[in-house]
Amino acid sequence: MIALTSPYLWYITRATGFVALILFTLVVTLGMLVANRIGGTVVGRFEINELHRSVSMVALVFLVIHIVTTLLDSFVATGWLSAIIPFASSYRRLPVAIGAVAFDLILAVWVSSLLKVRVKNATWRYIHWLSWLAFASAIAHAYLTGTDAKSGAGLAVVAACALTVLATASWRYLARPTRAAGRTALSPLAAAKKPTRAPSPQRSSATPSNPTGPSNPSGPTSFPRSPSPRTKKKMR
Amino acid sequence: MGVRRRPGAFLLKVNPILCDGFGHCHELAPELVTMDEWGYPIIKTDPTPFENVGAYESARYAVRGCPRQALNIERLNEK
Amino acid sequence: MLGTQLPRLLHGTPGTPLTLAQHEAAFAPTNPGRDLLEELEASGLTGRGGAAFPTGRKARLLAEQRGHHKYVVVNAMEGEPASHKDQTLLSTNPHLVLDGAEMLASIIGADQVMICVARDRPAIINYVKRALHERERKSRRSVKFELHTPPWRYVAGEESALVHWLDDNESLPQYRPQRPTILKLDRHPVLVDNAETCANVALIGRLGARWFRELGTEQSPGSALVSISGAVARPVVIEAALGTPIRAILDVAHAEPMPQAVLLGGYGGTWLSGQNLDAPYDNTFLSAYGASTGAGVMVVLGREGCGLVETTRIVKWMANESARQCGPCAFGLPALGEDLTELSFATTSSSTALNRLIERSGAIDGRGACRHPDGVVRFVRSALEVFGDDVRQHLRGTPCNATGSQKRYATVPMLEREDELIWE
Repeated sequence: MIALTSPYLWYITRATGFVALILFTLVVTLGMLVANRIGGTVVGRFEINELHRSVSMVALVFLVIHIVTTLLDSFVATGWLSAIIPFASSYRRLPVAIGAVAFDLILAVWVSSLLKVRVKNATWRYIHWLSWLAFASAIAHAYLTGTDAKSGAGLAVVAACALTVLATASWRYLARPTRAAGRTALSPLAAAKKPTRAPSPQRSSATPSNPTGPSNPSGPTSFPRSPSPRTKKKMR
Repeated sequence: MGVRRRPGAFLLKVNPILCDGFGHCHELAPELVTMDEWGYPIIKTDPTPFENVGAYESARYAVRGCPRQALNIERLNEK
Repeated sequence: MLGTQLPRLLHGTPGTPLTLAQHEAAFAPTNPGRDLLEELEASGLTGRGGAAFPTGRKARLLAEQRGHHKYVVVNAMEGEPASHKDQTLLSTNPHLVLDGAEMLASIIGADQVMICVARDRPAIINYVKRALHERERKSRRSVKFELHTPPWRYVAGEESALVHWLDDNESLPQYRPQRPTILKLDRHPVLVDNAETCANVALIGRLGARWFRELGTEQSPGSALVSISGAVARPVVIEAALGTPIRAILDVAHAEPMPQAVLLGGYGGTWLSGQNLDAPYDNTFLSAYGASTGAGVMVVLGREGCGLVETTRIVKWMANESARQCGPCAFGLPALGEDLTELSFATTSSSTALNRLIERSGAIDGRGACRHPDGVVRFVRSALEVFGDDVRQHLRGTPCNATGSQKRYATVPMLEREDELIWE
């Protein structure tokens, strides 16, 4: 094993780690913007999607540099496999293991997205949800591993990333667009109760002899609301 | 995207069950896709010749860009 | 009864189904010498479930499929609320249907038959169970029979929805870009045929294609069951030779003599104006009016009714029965219902409602995975054409026939709440 004892590797590891974390925060945020159908007027929706894809590539590059420099640095004495197998290293076992888990999940998401055209959409979506777990692992890894992250600027960065994603996730949930009720809504959010809203003004043309259920008001500008769907849909 | 001039035409087709009305196809291929009032795509049903390279490229981008992979290109050979 | 050779299918008393012994006494056993597939193709029998696809061609497609394991599905779901013919058939002579299914199984090389009856029809389920039990006791089994009871929905009787329920326990129509597609049940080819079609197959297998063609017309041979409701003394199922003038069929059912219109085919069918009731009950002639026999339904609109109001009620129900898989159907059909409501119950914005209705119909047509939205659009367009005078009256705000009366002719089931709809 190459033993490059140099403080610069150590600096690069920490720096690229932080950059990767920030970039992945951006990726997750952009992903939520895509899912909530942001764009279409000034910025195209497809542009946000493309940005999401591009930034994830850059983030992955920084992540790989972060991992490689960690492994090359003899000071930490971890084997190459510890990058993907948790607990394979003897150095800071738990935090590095969490990092390995994060990397595994990111790899899974990345590979499935590269092959997106070839896999079934349901498969791709289920794997893509692992990105939440990957991000949580990355935050945990950053906080537990880094000597920087326990205080000061480092902690501020990690906390900011975590809070950004949390805040955006709340917005993602609360402002989620409704879609055709039920059958294609694989997302677990689709089964959640919708927040109650004031009923739309009644038109005078209510049918006298046929009581109907809740109607679907459809406006040309707003995305139509639909009643709460049932999402039991088996995957082949 | 090197598109060879070939005979025949193509159709952009959507799987309406997979489609969730994201609207990326309309942005990427406006000459082939318009939106209805509920945000779902109305796709041209007339075949587009491959000679219309711009439209074909747009269609390929649309297929790639659809978040639900609901689009596909159907090749029609005029024989 | 109409014709000299009727009844063919409804041989017996509805409600007291023939036992196996009675059935075998009434009908001669199958002639083993016939090539069933050729007879079926020569007979020109078309599907009685609504699509009218040639049964022989369908059977040949399935017979040509490779596979050691195939299924036959008898579709007795009867998703059309105004249709009672399959229930009547099963309550008169279930063995005829089962015979037909067995014949189809032998034609295509299937070893299993699944009969699907809607869950909320316990009487019919019992008749079928008894018939299956009788056959089992007599060890007539060359083919394994199974009774299944999917939930009743309008689309549950759609071929792909039915097979999907058998496969994955959800009555959801599937996207089939290429027609005809071979449906697969657990990766094995499956032939789905309507119960009445199977009964006709049983008769053709015994008596031959030439006998079958003795009734009916050249393009539409044979007899068909018609469910007549609306302005009739009571809803009734009649067997008539194809090609019989519609007026003659209505007279047998003691329908109102000069109705405004008749809804043909089903709730996704078309209205036929009261002036055109001399048309023969045959798809070739009816296509000139944009109509078809469909699922064998006739709903008679009496003089006291309003075609627009009936159309509105039906469209609202059909919108509620959408599987909600596709945007245009899930959102478009309720929107059509709203526009029709505005049009029928004359408000100030009725003319914009009419324009919106026409525009939206054009936008929704053909954009679903199945033909449910197409049927509703066709139905709405036929209403606007046949009830054109009523439309003008409504737009002017003047009352029409039905304003005073609460008379409703179409039996529309109550609208269930969306989260109460059962698809599994």
